[in-house]
Amino acid sequence: MSPTAPTAPPVPRAAEILAALGAGGLLTLMLLANSTMAAHAGPLFSSLAAHGTGTVVAAALLLLGRRRRAVPPAAPGRVPLWAYLGGVSGALTVILTSWTANSGLALTGTLALGLAGQVVLALAFDMTGALGLARRRPEPRELGALGLILAGTVLVILTRGAG
Amino acid sequence: MAAAILVAFAAGLLVTLSRQLNGRLALGSSAMASSFWNHLVGFALLALLAAAAGALWPAGAAGAPLPAWLGGSLGVVFVAAGSWLIPRLGAALTGGLLVAGQMLSGVALDLLRGGGAQPGLQLAGVALILAGVWLSRRPRRRPARA
Repeated sequence: MSPTAPTAPPVPRAAEILAALGAGGLLTLMLLANSTMAAHAGPLFSSLAAHGTGTVVAAALLLLGRRRRAVPPAAPGRVPLWAYLGGVSGALTVILTSWTANSGLALTGTLALGLAGQVVLALAFDMTGALGLARRRPEPRELGALGLILAGTVLVILTRGAG
Repeated sequence: MAAAILVAFAAGLLVTLSRQLNGRLALGSSAMASSFWNHLVGFALLALLAAAAGALWPAGAAGAPLPAWLGGSLGVVFVAAGSWLIPRLGAALTGGLLVAGQMLSGVALDLLRGGGAQPGLQLAGVALILAGVWLSRRPRRRPARA
């Protein structure tokens, strides 16, 4: 990131938006695959299998990438050990949601409440610059965008909820 | 029910926490490296839990169709994308846009499968999401006068 222009990210926002939307699309397919596995072998094995195959695929991609010129890290230096614990948090999520989806909340309530939890903590992280990432005050335009996306998402979740 | 509400909310907190941690790890390594560690550490924890439950290889696992095994590979790209995006967009907008992509593709999937109840409300939801995505993009800067 350029130190002289903190307000202008190096990559055009359009590319980032498309990347995020595409990744969200991958998530839909991933959940479809994982729920198929869960139907056959239960949610714990489904998550175990996804993390196992994911480890192998990520390792293969890292090895392939090493042949090319490596991109230097954005913040070289020692990474704190706690930064390696994202996988713990991710694995626990699966266990918690597979329980709540079968509770009175069902999938719809699980999704809606999870969405609320995600957004609340993400805003708190942005405003405080938690865990070593940049502190940034959300602009009104950003909050408006988030509000519209959330409102639309609630509508979609409620109408898809039957399935 | 109150417990379930808290747990579902906590699961959402964990999604954001995970992305923030992976984003920090990626700053000192790379987005793909953060995805690798995310999957390896998660696998180790889940393997311990599955072993404790005596269910490392449940009965139905062998009968699962091939597509059921592809979720992990897609997850690798998803986690790497999150780690790449979070220092660029911040946690809130990264999460919001990922959810937008998930919802739009979910509705598209419903349409492809011929399902989807209440198409009117779904369409309204899609319109709101698209409006949000449109609003989120960086406004074009006015060219500086020479």
